[in-house]
Amino acid sequence: MNDENKSLRKRKRFAARLKSSKGILCTETPGKYVVLCNAGQATGLEKDYIFKLIKEKELDIPLPKFIAEKGESHSFLVFPTSEDCKLFYDTFNDKAKADENGTPLYMTFVETVPNTEVICQHENPKGLHLLNNFITSEEEKIFLKLFDWNPETNNLKNRLVRHYGYEFRYGSNDVDLNNPLIEKIPNECEVLWKRLSELGFDVGVPDQLTVNKYQPGQGIPSHVDRHSPFEGTILSLSLGSDVVMDWKHHSGKYVPVLIPTRSLLIMQDEARYDWQHGIQPRTWDPVIDHRLENGRNIKVITSDTIQRQTRISLTFRWTRSGPCQCTYKTLCDSVEKASPDNLEDKLASNLEELHVHQVYEQIAGHFSTTRHKPWPKVVQFMQGVVPGSVVLDLGCGNGKNILRRNDIVQIAGERSSGLLAECKEHIRGISGADCVRLDLLNTTLRDETADVVICIAVIHHFSSPARRLQSITTINRLLRKGGRALITVWAKDQTKSNYLLKSKQDQLNETEPETQVTVAGVNLPVHENRTQFKHQDLLVPWKLRKVNENKLSSQPDNTLLRYYHVFEENELDDLCKEANFIIEDSFYEEGNWCVVCKKK
Amino acid sequence: MKLITHNMLTSKCLKGVMTGYPLAINATDIKVTEVDFNPEFITRVIPKLDWEVLWAAANSIGHGEGLPKTLEPKYEENEDLLKKLHRVLLEVEVEEGNLTCPESGRQFPISKGIPNMLLTEAEVQ
Ligand SMILES: [Zn+2]
Repeated sequence: MNDENKSLRKRKRFAARLKSSKGILCTETPGKYVVLCNAGQATGLEKDYIFKLIKEKELDIPLPKFIAEKGESHSFLVFPTSEDCKLFYDTFNDKAKADENGTPLYMTFVETVPNTEVICQHENPKGLHLLNNFITSEEEKIFLKLFDWNPETNNLKNRLVRHYGYEFRYGSNDVDLNNPLIEKIPNECEVLWKRLSELGFDVGVPDQLTVNKYQPGQGIPSHVDRHSPFEGTILSLSLGSDVVMDWKHHSGKYVPVLIPTRSLLIMQDEARYDWQHGIQPRTWDPVIDHRLENGRNIKVITSDTIQRQTRISLTFRWTRSGPCQCTYKTLCDSVEKASPDNLEDKLASNLEELHVHQVYEQIAGHFSTTRHKPWPKVVQFMQGVVPGSVVLDLGCGNGKNILRRNDIVQIAGERSSGLLAECKEHIRGISGADCVRLDLLNTTLRDETADVVICIAVIHHFSSPARRLQSITTINRLLRKGGRALITVWAKDQTKSNYLLKSKQDQLNETEPETQVTVAGVNLPVHENRTQFKHQDLLVPWKLRKVNENKLSSQPDNTLLRYYHVFEENELDDLCKEANFIIEDSFYEEGNWCVVCKKK
Repeated sequence: MKLITHNMLTSKCLKGVMTGYPLAINATDIKVTEVDFNPEFITRVIPKLDWEVLWAAANSIGHGEGLPKTLEPKYEENEDLLKKLHRVLLEVEVEEGNLTCPESGRQFPISKGIPNMLLTEAEVQ
């Protein structure tokens, strides 16, 4: 009796908490939803444990959908019917164990569950054809036998690779047509071309095959297969595991696509030439649902996850020579070679969308764990701001430069919604601070309203001189007469900062060819982190390592490439003068050029 | 979004828009959070704002009571007024809703307290 009372009180307390924190009501009436009150992501609960319970008891119910939000010590199950749910409840409530100490798992029915689903707004890329069940399980086994090999064979950073026909050269991302390999594409593949032709895809027979083996946790950074060395069709056959492939377009579209095992992916047209694709380095993938809503087919990224297995992918290409003839300029390596000094505005903007905006959205959560301290020089500048001033922090990121001062107005503007959400959290309790999502080049703020503007580590992300100047002209326009700005950018010269790693600089093999990526008709070298910059316009790898994702243990690198224009000495000063500023102070600080300037 | 921010937002960047100011507010969720009263701060900020726009904005979201349409001189001595301003500038926030360009009708959504003022390339002059 006493225990029963205790349990009742416990449930009541939990119900009150859930109601106030999530607005979710507990109920005694059995429905399709149940909440596990004392087991969730934070307590280390995984959905496999729930499935194991059901299987062990041989319950005749379908496996439920599992919703475990990050950081919560409760979780939710969704069953197809209330009968299934009730059976689960009756079997396990207060009986199953919630943890290793044997604490009983207690649960209660709920009226709703949190909605953690994300609706994908965009359609699949044009020219992407996914043929499911393209090969049978029997054929898959044959292919796996043919292409699975010992780990010793070959090694490419975080996956294993083999080539047939021609060697695909990573780095230059092409093949050497003068050096065909002895090993041709195995005859076993012939069935694929026949089947494709029967389905109406008259693509002929490819002459180059690259086989990659991905362990769970491994991925491949976003890329487009280089245009000029290969024809307009690329095929990818998946073996061994489903995987979610992310597709990104320079218009800002982002579409995850489930690539099932035994499927054949055909990339043509836009999908081949104008979108980047990649695979995130995770041991799991989100479950993607297709639903019909208002007569429209929509794609939903659910909170449910599925474990990855070892996946082998066969990429078939057709080699070619000469410049690419495609009509898609942004990712083409054959458009009239532009130089970063005269980049067309539209292309510059596409480049920034792919290699600045989308990267920041992806690293938002991760970024904040590493960039939480403002620079002393910025703090010093902000502390000197006169009470009553209106301050704009343009490109505020996660808001680390917003001071906890209640005697000034601080408006934080940022383009990345992920960073801005963190900024909003950060400025909570600072009475004169507020957030706006905006773009520095098309700032939706009134002229001459600010007493002070700070723009910290932003302008080096604009990819043409015209856009860099425009950004500083905008800052000038927003300031009142006599208003001041602090602008900082990354310096090309890193010798006086602790960015350089001596050992790494020495290790650098000068003869090794640089990796280059072509975006918007510009060849951009990929920078070797922690070494001196050799170019002014370049891509800097951001290595994503999961920090607080309990689900994953050791995490290999997922490399995102961020575009930078690193500044020479006086370059920022000259731009500020051109934008009609008076330079008050100019200095080098920890690898950055910094200017304090005043509006005339 | 605080009204202090609204006072500075414009949709002038839009193609064919001359001033784009002030943006009309349509609030579906408003949050009021109490913060410490700092009369000096309010006094200093007032001259930096467009008073009429603030007055109209406060009224449009139902928080304009007691605010005069034109600002009297020596407002800094009127503690009652400063308190009302303190509330309308710092305590009242539009959580959900949208802003509308007075000329083109383009709407900017406000979600989780953040107005999204991003424009597509095609919209910009
Ligand atoms: Zn091309």
